Amino acid sequence: MEKQGGKYDFSLYEYHNLLHQNILVSYKGPIDERIMSVIGENIEIVTNDGNDKARSKIFKIFMELAQNVWLYSAESCKTVSGKQLGMGTLVIGEFGDSYTFVTGNMVKNSDIEPVIEKCEIINSLDRDSLREYRREQRRLANQGKKNSGNIGLIQVALTAESPLDIELTPVNDMESFFSIAVKIKKTLVKS
Amino acid sequence: MNDIHIQGVHEAYFVPTVNFVAATGKCEISGESYLEETTKFYAPLLTWIKEYTETVKGPLNFDFKLSYFNTSSSKCLVDILDMLKKYQQSGGEVSVNWYYEDSDEELEEVEDFIMETGLQINKIPME
Repeated sequence: MEKQGGKYDFSLYEYHNLLHQNILVSYKGPIDERIMSVIGENIEIVTNDGNDKARSKIFKIFMELAQNVWLYSAESCKTVSGKQLGMGTLVIGEFGDSYTFVTGNMVKNSDIEPVIEKCEIINSLDRDSLREYRREQRRLANQGKKNSGNIGLIQVALTAESPLDIELTPVNDMESFFSIAVKIKKTLVKS
Repeated sequence: MNDIHIQGVHEAYFVPTVNFVAATGKCEISGESYLEETTKFYAPLLTWIKEYTETVKGPLNFDFKLSYFNTSSSKCLVDILDMLKKYQQSGGEVSVNWYYEDSDEELEEVEDFIMETGLQINKIPME
């Protein structure tokens, strides 16, 4: 967004149009509990089409993935009180019979490999194995042998009942942009 | 021995409602659990159970009625269940009811808690 001849070379209208189609909520910036609370409520409002199951699924997924951006983004800022907040992008879209929730943030190239491996493991497992994996990882975390960031991703895949669609876009030698998209099918409401 | 009473709050963080009664051994954790410092919140609950099982040594009846809990809370819930299992194995009287909202996923999660801890848990659909 550069200023050229007194005018910013950035069309908010184009940006709006780009996001307008199918996108229900989008946010870019620092994430903390207040932002999570507001976006969480917004998600509940925009997905309130009688599909309670999908709505509660999106909420659960949002809580885990947004928390990961907050805690693990390589791009961060500090509040006045000194709290470190990860920055990233959250988007929720509606596409026919499903919702898609996407989060993206900058990551250090040196840190991302284990996360990608984890996602690949998750995507390779069927539901029963994924549940077993969650039990195992929770057990390890409780014994203090592993951190718990992994359980969140397993939970997301179990809740979404779909794979983690991950993408890594190199930005420079040190950093890349990492995104995770998950699809949440709308379920038929039982009458 | 003191009781624990915590009134649930739904603000930026979600604090569950907690009622632990030493005279009867009736304990309840309900509402939603998403906390700023999860381990710190659950530590006094674990301490209470430990003290109860070592000094009062009476029956423990647990009701879990959580409509939402994040993965971080689930680890602490497993810690509680582990402790209950240990008490049961040492001869303590333990009963656990888990109320779940009508979804397969939540039922699966309770089943996983049972497998994970070896504790008998009654699965009850929430009304």
